[in-house]
Amino acid sequence: MNLERKDWIRALTAHPATVLNALADELTVGCGVKLKSLPQAGLGLLTLTDGAFREPYYLGEFPLSMCSIELSLPDGRRTAGGAQVMADDAELARALAILDAILAAGFPGYERVSAHIESGTKRRAEEDRRRRAMLAATRVDFAMLNNAGDDDDET
Amino acid sequence: MSYVAIKGGGRAIAGAAAVTEYLRTEEGSGNAGAEPPEPLKIDAILHQLRHLVDRVISEGGVYHPRFAALAIKQSLGDTLEAAFALRAWRSTRPRLSATPPLDTSRMRLIRRISSAFKEIPGGQMLGPTPDYALRLLRLDLMDESPEAFRAVARDWLENCPETELPDSFPKVLDALRAEGLLPPITAVRSQTAFDITREPLVFPVPRSAALATMARAETGSLLAIAYSNMRGYGDVHPTVAELRVGYLPVLLPHPVTGELVEAGEVLITECEVVAMYEADDAGGKPMFTIGYGSCFGHNEVKAISMAILDRALQKGMKDGAANPSEDPEFVLLHVDGVDSMGFASHYKMPHYVTFQSDLDRLRTTQQKTGVPA
Repeated sequence: MNLERKDWIRALTAHPATVLNALADELTVGCGVKLKSLPQAGLGLLTLTDGAFREPYYLGEFPLSMCSIELSLPDGRRTAGGAQVMADDAELARALAILDAILAAGFPGYERVSAHIESGTKRRAEEDRRRRAMLAATRVDFAMLNNAGDDDDET
Repeated sequence: MSYVAIKGGGRAIAGAAAVTEYLRTEEGSGNAGAEPPEPLKIDAILHQLRHLVDRVISEGGVYHPRFAALAIKQSLGDTLEAAFALRAWRSTRPRLSATPPLDTSRMRLIRRISSAFKEIPGGQMLGPTPDYALRLLRLDLMDESPEAFRAVARDWLENCPETELPDSFPKVLDALRAEGLLPPITAVRSQTAFDITREPLVFPVPRSAALATMARAETGSLLAIAYSNMRGYGDVHPTVAELRVGYLPVLLPHPVTGELVEAGEVLITECEVVAMYEADDAGGKPMFTIGYGSCFGHNEVKAISMAILDRALQKGMKDGAANPSEDPEFVLLHVDGVDSMGFASHYKMPHYVTFQSDLDRLRTTQQKTGVPA
C-alpha cells in the first residue's frame, strides 16, 4: 500500500463507522490505549479563500470529531495516532486514531488496516469515476449559430 | 413596543403539536382501500429532494445533510423552520477547530460553465442541470414503479463513459487576471475573516462579514435584492465568468504529524462574475470589476445572486450606496431567513396590551377631533 498517511482518513471513511469501530476494538485487545485528547464531537469552521480577491471568509460550519491516542503493546512499544474526521461521532474519531497509530507504526494487525484502506481507496476511486463521468457525459462545445455543421457534432 | 407575559394554553399547545403530527402521518387513514402509508425515509429525502436539503444546509449554515433531511421531515418541508432547527442544533455543539483557508480550485467538479467564453481551459461541462429542460410536468413520475426507478440509475451507471478528465480545473478569472484585465491580488486586503456567529454586525463591516452573511442567507431574500439590482435599481450588469458545482476537500492538520489531512468533503456552488469596468483611482489602466458568491450545496441562483450583491456592496462601500442593493446595512440585515422569519412570526404572539394601548389612543384621538361618526 503506497497511500500517504494524509489520505488514510478519506479511504477508511469509505467504510461504515460500525466496521471501523469493530476493527479498532479487535486490534486493540491486549493493548493499552491512552487518550492524549478526549474523543470529542462538535463543529469545525470552514474557511474559504474567495475566488475574486483571495480574501479568507467563513462559509459555514460542519460536524467534526477528533481524538488523539497513544497505543502501547505488551512488549513496551508505543506509538501515537490521531484523527480529525467530518462526522458527528466521537467514537469514530477514536477508532480512526487507533487505526492510524497501528498502521503508522506497523503494529500487529496493520495488514488488516492496510486492506481496509485499499478497499476504501477503490470505493473512493469509483465515486470519483462517477463524478468525472457526469462531466464527460455533459461536455459541451457551443457553436455560433452561423457555423456550419449539425448539432452535437462536437468530439 | 412592549410585551406582556401570558399563561395558560398548555393543553392547546400540546394539541396543536399532536394535530401537526396527525397531518404528517394521516396519508391513507380513513380510506380502507388505500395502501398502508410509509414514513419518509431520510435517505429518500437526501437523494430525491437533494436541492431542498442543499437549501437547508446552506441557510442553516451547517453542512450536515442527514440532519437537514431530518429537519425537512419534521418541519413538513418548511425550509425556514428546517434551517431554524439546524441552527438550533448547531448552537448546542462546541466549536472544535477551523480549517485553514481552503482553495476552491481543488474542488472535485460535477459541473462547470462559463457564459463569458465559449471555450475555457479544461472545457465546459453541464453536469446535472435543468437549464436546458422544458418546464413541462413529467406526468410519468405520477405513478413511478420501483423497478423503473431503480433501472434509471443502474442504466446510467452501466453506460457512463470512462474518462481521463482531471480532478480539478483552472479558473477562468485567473486567465483574465493574467491578461491584466482584472484588479491584481494585493496584500493589503484583509487576511482575517469575520465570524458572524460570534460577533454582531456593527457597520461598517469587512467584506468577509458580508460574504459569510450572504453564504447562509435565505435564497429568496438574496435573490430579491440581487434582482432589484439586475432590473435597474443598480448597474452591476454581470457576466458569469465561471459557475462551478463540486465537492471541496475539507483539510485539517493531522493531530500527530501536523500535515493537512482530508477530513471529509462538502458540496458547494461557486460563482464568479465579471462586471462593468471602471477607471483605476490611482491612474492605472481601467479594469473589470468582479463579484464572488458561494454556498453549501447545489444552489446556483443563490451563488449568482450573492456574486452580484458582492459586487454591488463593494461599490457601495467604496462610493456610498446609490440604491438599496449597494447598502451593506440594508442588504446584510435583511437576508437572513431565521432572523426575518422569526420577526414575521412573532407578530402571531399575543400583543394584547400593546394593541389595547393602540385602541385607547385611537379612541382618544377620535374624540379630540370631534368629527361625528
